[in-house]
Amino acid sequence: MEPLLTLENVTVPGREGPRLEGVSLQLQPGERVALLGASGAGKSTLLSVANGLLAPQAGRVLWMGHPPSRSRRLRRRQQAGIGTLWQDLRLIEELTVQQNLNSARLAHWPWHRAWLNLLVPLDTQANREVLAQVDLEPDLLPAPVAALSGGQRQRVAIARLLRQDAQLWLLDEPLASLDPRRARDVLALILGLARAPRALLFSLHRPDLLQGFDRVIGLRQGRLSFDLPGPSLEPAQLRELYAGSKLSHG
Amino acid sequence: MAESSTGRPTFGRGWSPALPLTILVPSLVLLPIGVLLPGLVHGGGFDLIGRFVLAAFHPSLDATVLQAALSGLAVTLAMALLGWAVSLLGGILLGLASSRTLWSTATGLSWPANGCRRLLALPRSIHELLWGLLLLQLLGLRPVVAVAAIAIPYSALVARVVADLLDGLPTTRLEALRCEGVPAPAALLTALGPALLPGLMSYGGYRLECALRSATLLGVFGLGGLGTELRLTLQSLEFRELWTGLWLLFLAMVLLEGGLAALRRRWLAPRRLRLSQPVPTNRGRRLESAGQELLVGLLVLGPLCWVLAVQLGVHGSDLLRVQPLPPLGGADWSRVLALPWLSLVANTLLLTVIAAALAIGLAPLFLLLVAPWPAARWLLRLGWAFGRLWPPPLSALLLLFVLQPGLLTAALALGFHNLGILGRLLLESVEEAPSGPREALERMGTGSRLGLLYGTYSAVARSYLAYGAYRADVMLRETVVVGLVGATGLGTLLLESLTAFAWDQLLALIVVYAVLTLVGEDLSDRLRRRLQATPATATTINR
Repeated sequence: MEPLLTLENVTVPGREGPRLEGVSLQLQPGERVALLGASGAGKSTLLSVANGLLAPQAGRVLWMGHPPSRSRRLRRRQQAGIGTLWQDLRLIEELTVQQNLNSARLAHWPWHRAWLNLLVPLDTQANREVLAQVDLEPDLLPAPVAALSGGQRQRVAIARLLRQDAQLWLLDEPLASLDPRRARDVLALILGLARAPRALLFSLHRPDLLQGFDRVIGLRQGRLSFDLPGPSLEPAQLRELYAGSKLSHG
Repeated sequence: MAESSTGRPTFGRGWSPALPLTILVPSLVLLPIGVLLPGLVHGGGFDLIGRFVLAAFHPSLDATVLQAALSGLAVTLAMALLGWAVSLLGGILLGLASSRTLWSTATGLSWPANGCRRLLALPRSIHELLWGLLLLQLLGLRPVVAVAAIAIPYSALVARVVADLLDGLPTTRLEALRCEGVPAPAALLTALGPALLPGLMSYGGYRLECALRSATLLGVFGLGGLGTELRLTLQSLEFRELWTGLWLLFLAMVLLEGGLAALRRRWLAPRRLRLSQPVPTNRGRRLESAGQELLVGLLVLGPLCWVLAVQLGVHGSDLLRVQPLPPLGGADWSRVLALPWLSLVANTLLLTVIAAALAIGLAPLFLLLVAPWPAARWLLRLGWAFGRLWPPPLSALLLLFVLQPGLLTAALALGFHNLGILGRLLLESVEEAPSGPREALERMGTGSRLGLLYGTYSAVARSYLAYGAYRADVMLRETVVVGLVGATGLGTLLLESLTAFAWDQLLALIVVYAVLTLVGEDLSDRLRRRLQATPATATTINR
């Protein structure tokens, strides 16, 4: 089966040494992979390369076996298959929950539908369903995102990911600002939703939350430190990964 | 938001255009314009427009033409700088006199501040061009006329901003100092002075840009400088000579705007849209050095203005030398009352609405259309820069080559000029808006146009519309400018009254204009307050 994501010898330069250096990895459909590393290890850079926000200086990125297309139209189609949950969520505060959820479909919609979305509620049933999947009430649909609580926003961002219906999910430390109990709840929710053939690359700062992942990738100073099946990770490897930095536990 | 019976908040089901659409709605004015415009076109002047456009690429480099344009530009710059400096000085003093905080701290009374504000409403409501023409009639063609024409309304505008800034500042530090027994003047200076500085620096810079545009406009109406050259070359169809002056003016404006933007960044002064937002405390050191540099700048400005005034022959005493006027005769108020006031006012308002809709709606529409091509953004920048520097009466004259005179022609001229101002502002706001939502959309495969519409326009729409409301009330004031070239509305009659020395009619027209602009100012203030009422996105705009 074609890997959903392939990075080959990816290098991204930085001001004080490379942010990523010679990183290679593959993500198969259905895989749930945790990306571990201390702050500044290059996790966010790796995810930015994986979702096309950053172009590597050297190496290759393949999405479903193909390099990013030079054609704008094809590139957009490729991007539509990659969903990102950003640490800062990046919802559109001024628009309603419904408009935000529908914004995940803009790549597939004709232009008049994209404009109509700013005028009348569209796809209400589909949006109700994704809200239900993230345990939110459908009466939130007409609410502006700016009026939601932090927890509701996070769930709306996950619901947007569901609406996008992407095969590859990239998650940039979505648990970073959550208390331990909520972090476990959100992680369980995401792992429950990311079923095959979806693949998941989940950047984490907390090794105590590794249960449920098929593989664990360790990143240290921009280099791949290890790439192991989840259960085989040794405490010594973790200590080495976080040597010189503070480990956070729930 | 309301509470449901279960105690959870519920949201209204009423759907209205989302924010990104609201800034595009005014561009719908293109539909009626598209229908009406073909009926206004006359065959004659398309070749002239073609010659005008082509001449942009071949401006005259003749030494005499260059010298005339350069000396005209020098006069315009000097008039702008002098008018601006006087207005800044006068505006700050009048602003202090209009501040409720200041009066109540010093005397415990606030009515003198309110009285001062009401008095200043009149000079503010009359456009600088009208001041120029009135002073021209009273004093004759003297260099002081242009300077005073800029300084009078600008002082009143600066005064209002200074007073609003002062009254908007938190007074806790001031109260603490007063409780410690610090005398009122020292307490005011210590508590409010540093906080006032960033907003004042930013607004002062913006006013200098406006002063350059006003000085050019006054020149178009015969008060000297490059504007006069531009009008003469346009009327004699010497387009290559016209472009020599235009390119020079363009260069001066770009340098001025760029220099002021660099200073704003260096001094961490807020942008026009965020004048009254507090400056973060960790920037205190930068502000301190900004204050010192500003002081040096002011020390240089004083002698520079004196030299310029001597060179131009600007003497303050000339303001007292009223020239003999022709016999005024008795006022004929029945004739004045018989004027078609309703249609004059309606035309003026319609002209404002069309021009404002064009300027407010087209800027986001154009930016959206060129979103996939960054190079085209630079072309827009160039076009908008010309819109800003090209005085509306000259646009109207140019349009008259191909269009019949009338309300729509005047609105196009006024709209083009203000599109240049609003376009630049929108572009700056878009470039400074948080890029996160737009990036997220583009990573999901959304195209750049929809990324801009959803991701960026959502964030900037409120502040842009609020500034658009302010600009609309400026446009109401500016209708006099296109009215004076025989377009339509109250302006045309104003010129006739001025040239015919029909003082009764002139007085009535000025009063109507003043009332109209003050009502417009009040309406736009209310609209801005409503737009800024959402705390999540509120930004504050001062005039």
